[in-house]
Amino acid sequence: MFKHNFNYTLKTLFRDKTLIFWTFAFPLILGTFFHMAFSNIEKSEQLDTINIAVVKNEKYNNSILLKQTIAVLSNKKNEEHLFNTKYVTEKQARKLLKDDKIAGYLIPGETPKVVVMTNGINQTIIKQVVEEIIIKEETIKKVTEAKIGKYLTEQTQEDLGNLSPWYATIYQNILKEWGDEFKIQDISDDHLSYTMIEFYTLIAMTCLYGGILGMVALNRNLANMSNKGKRVAVSPCSKLKLILSSTLAAYITQMIGLILLFLYTIFILKVDYGDNLSYIIFLTLAGCLAGLSLGLAIATIFKTSENTKTGIVISVTMLGCFLSGMMGITMKYIVDKNIPLINRLNPAAMITDGFYSLYYYNTLDRFTSNLISLFIFSGIMLTISIISLRRQSYDSI
Amino acid sequence: MTVFKAFLKVLNKSKAPIIMYTVFLIIFAGFNIETSDNPTQFTAEKPSIYIVSRENPKGINRNLIDYMKRNCKFVDLEGKNLEDAIFYRDVSYIIFIPEDFGKELLNHKMPKITVKSTKDYNASLSELILNRYLETAYAYSKVATTEEELVEYMNDTLNKKSEVEILSNLDTSHLNKATFYYNFLNYALLAGFIYVICLILSSFNEEKIKRRTIVSSMNYKKFNQKLLLSNGLFALVLWLFYILLSMIIVGRVMFTTHGLFYILNTAIFSCCVLSIAFLLANVIKNKNTVNGIVNVIALGCSFLCGAFVPMEMLPKSVLLIAHILPSYWYIKTNELLKTTERFNIDSIMPIIINMGVVILFTIGFVIMTNIITKRNQKIN
Repeated sequence: MFKHNFNYTLKTLFRDKTLIFWTFAFPLILGTFFHMAFSNIEKSEQLDTINIAVVKNEKYNNSILLKQTIAVLSNKKNEEHLFNTKYVTEKQARKLLKDDKIAGYLIPGETPKVVVMTNGINQTIIKQVVEEIIIKEETIKKVTEAKIGKYLTEQTQEDLGNLSPWYATIYQNILKEWGDEFKIQDISDDHLSYTMIEFYTLIAMTCLYGGILGMVALNRNLANMSNKGKRVAVSPCSKLKLILSSTLAAYITQMIGLILLFLYTIFILKVDYGDNLSYIIFLTLAGCLAGLSLGLAIATIFKTSENTKTGIVISVTMLGCFLSGMMGITMKYIVDKNIPLINRLNPAAMITDGFYSLYYYNTLDRFTSNLISLFIFSGIMLTISIISLRRQSYDSI
Repeated sequence: MTVFKAFLKVLNKSKAPIIMYTVFLIIFAGFNIETSDNPTQFTAEKPSIYIVSRENPKGINRNLIDYMKRNCKFVDLEGKNLEDAIFYRDVSYIIFIPEDFGKELLNHKMPKITVKSTKDYNASLSELILNRYLETAYAYSKVATTEEELVEYMNDTLNKKSEVEILSNLDTSHLNKATFYYNFLNYALLAGFIYVICLILSSFNEEKIKRRTIVSSMNYKKFNQKLLLSNGLFALVLWLFYILLSMIIVGRVMFTTHGLFYILNTAIFSCCVLSIAFLLANVIKNKNTVNGIVNVIALGCSFLCGAFVPMEMLPKSVLLIAHILPSYWYIKTNELLKTTERFNIDSIMPIIINMGVVILFTIGFVIMTNIITKRNQKIN
């Protein structure tokens, strides 16, 4: 009986085109959209070289530091290459800016002036670099003065600028030593691609959508759902066997869908799930179980039509995915940061967070806690389903 | 009236998705973008940072923290998970200041500063600011004998600023918001119109209901006319609602020439969406498939054409494919409007061309619908 019901449930599930669309095809389509839309985001958020112009006036020719700094930052071979610089007159610079050829231009002067079209990150960087030059100039001047001042009487300090040869040497030395001796050490992880979360929520969505499969499979055995259910209910076979075989068939169908999704995301969309395959499989099995048990619980608790039940599964899934970052990655973080309890109860967040911890964290604590949470969630859902299913009988229907 | 009543009845049943799309629109467009009230003054971008240092920092240590807080947006992550904060871009830069920062510096040694960063432009900007401070402090440390002297030197030097002039007098932040809203509207319009119209027409086209309508005393031309009118009315009401909503969410920009163009653009696009909805309603035979098709089309057009992710962030290949979708031209106009400073023939021309393309699409869809209905009639 087990085998018979198992086979027929599989067949029924696979022949339901709408069902297969939502559980198999839709995640693939959505994944493709995600890939198309998000594949370039992180690259475009990196600092690119900025087109600027510098007005060549008298002040520019006199300022060694300004000249030097702009030249270094505009050198394509330099590691710190930041600007593509054009040296022009003010009129030309204005035209370049109006034609959107440059982000801004610099007019050297007593206080250097930056001219931009709008606010923005590139404009801010130009401003900050110019300020850096001003501060650097001021610092070197002051340090030089202080160094000389140590040896001189107060009267001569007033016309320090004229002590040219001495002043110039010290000035040059400080300039040469500037910023040589240290480097800020960046200790952040390399796995910083936050768009991966989108794909993890996609897996979570597929796992939970699998609940529809479990629900449909179970409905075939429920007397209050269809005539077929009535016939099954009066048949002299073990209900346990029927329900087990139905749910197993749903679970396997769900797994096939997920395997397809994994193959597609790994080999075609190049999603990074971390390196450990066995953990990924564990998490997926647990995620599917959570989806399945959610579907079963909804199928048994709510005594309504199949459409309404499907609606409930979809709403619960979408709400869960929304909270775990599908419609805006930061949503998951906001919830985690402020009301962590919500995502502790949300199976979609457990699955997403499980994949995230495999990808980003080096330790397994967080992953394990997610895995255990998923099993506890499934356990509770299954218990609810068993309680409401057992000894179900109807006098009339 | 009978037709209209039946129409309203079906419409009432499908109000849930419309409400959902509208809520999405309000959530994403309403809360996503901050606007500044003084667009003609330059405001520097402030990257978000967090600083880990010893308790009760004093002297130069305090000075560094204050300087970073002035130039960046400080997010308090006390007791929160720092790894997560970096990954989810809550902050783009976390600075760890060593205990003996001031002491090392006064001994002419460069203290070891470690950071965690997101490696994007915000992180680069934070690094630029931090680097400047450290370099300056290090340079002064060679001449300053006490910590107080060092702090004084730093304060004197670091308040030097450059002058920034803004040429454009565009209200960029409000225009950004308007473009964001109207781009997102692409999804709400597509999903809302197609869903409702397909559902309603397929309800009327259900075999038994269709037979009853045919045998009824009502002239089929009149029936079709009323159905068309009801659908048009629905589209008009929804469109008006979204325009009103934009006036609330976006604000004053909507009452300028820019706003007028946004509204005109949306009106033309709405007609196009309406024609798509009619075409699909004639193709779709099964009510159950409506949901799937709506999702694929609305999400597809929105993802590929830059309704969710700004166009400039999309890969070039995707944008190339997007040319075959009307949404692309609609969104391109919105993006153009964002940067249009003055309305003259030169600046309006590309906008008119885009609108023209959308109109051509509409005509194309109407012709296709006619061909299909004609063929269907022959089969029947």
